[in-house]
Amino acid sequence: MVAVGLWGAYLGRPLVYVLPVVFPTVMALGGILGMSGLAMLPVELGIAVSVLLLGTLVAASKSLPAWAACLLVALFGLFHGFAHGQELPVSANPVGYCAGFMLSTGSLHLAGVALGLLTGLSGRLRVVPRILGGGIAVAGLWFVYRAAAG
Amino acid sequence: MNGALLLAGLLCGALGLALSCARGRGLIVPCAILLTAALASAALWQPGLLPQATVLIACSTSIVATAAAVFLPARPPRPLAAALAANAGFWCGTLAAEAASLVLLLALPLALVALPGAWIVGRGYGIGLKVASGWLIAIGLMTAALPLLTTPGYQKDHME
Repeated sequence: MVAVGLWGAYLGRPLVYVLPVVFPTVMALGGILGMSGLAMLPVELGIAVSVLLLGTLVAASKSLPAWAACLLVALFGLFHGFAHGQELPVSANPVGYCAGFMLSTGSLHLAGVALGLLTGLSGRLRVVPRILGGGIAVAGLWFVYRAAAG
Repeated sequence: MNGALLLAGLLCGALGLALSCARGRGLIVPCAILLTAALASAALWQPGLLPQATVLIACSTSIVATAAAVFLPARPPRPLAAALAANAGFWCGTLAAEAASLVLLLALPLALVALPGAWIVGRGYGIGLKVASGWLIAIGLMTAALPLLTTPGYQKDHME
């Protein structure tokens, strides 16, 4: 989530605000699919790959066309939403659960955007998002290993 | 009814965001319509008139529709703002009647988020409201699907 915000801040307008809208919207659709109990590709692996790829994109300061960035983030949002939807049936308050995970996802996006924009103000701090992206990518690599091994 | 207060709060919050972008600065009329509709609906609605699932779906789709007004190419005109306020008030009152708890009407003041919202829009940062509305639309989509899918989480839990 933070990586989506960081990447959006790097990509600038309009993606800085489009990505934090696309991700939760597609995540909601993924959540509905998860709730309905549909079979899907390995969700944990999809999430792990999304962490790895987004971290790499931030670390490499890589730009993509707007449509491709939206498509990529939407695909990752689908996996995240699916995982949340699958967990929802055991929740005691599903409305609160939906609102909670949507708003916390959005807050993490905003944190990433704020971090990206603030560090972009100073020339010396511009490397900070790339370092964070590298850390996220390393964590993603670990998640991929865990998901593939499990 | 699980999460009824939260649904009412989200609906009023979505209305507040929509009113932030509405033409004109008058908030008094939409807020009066919201309050009147909520009180009338809470007083007159007969629980069981509609299945609770239908009420929850209607509230959720109202959240989606109200939040979507923020994305209109032109600022919502006053009649639309009034209609959204009436709709939000009606469903908040209905939720209160269904849940037999007027506490749900405490969600109504969340429409006053329009005050800081209008200030934000006036300074050219209206895009922030669109992002927040996008989140509300996503929440509304998911909560609209809840009554249609059989999940144990939608049933009464050990605390009810």
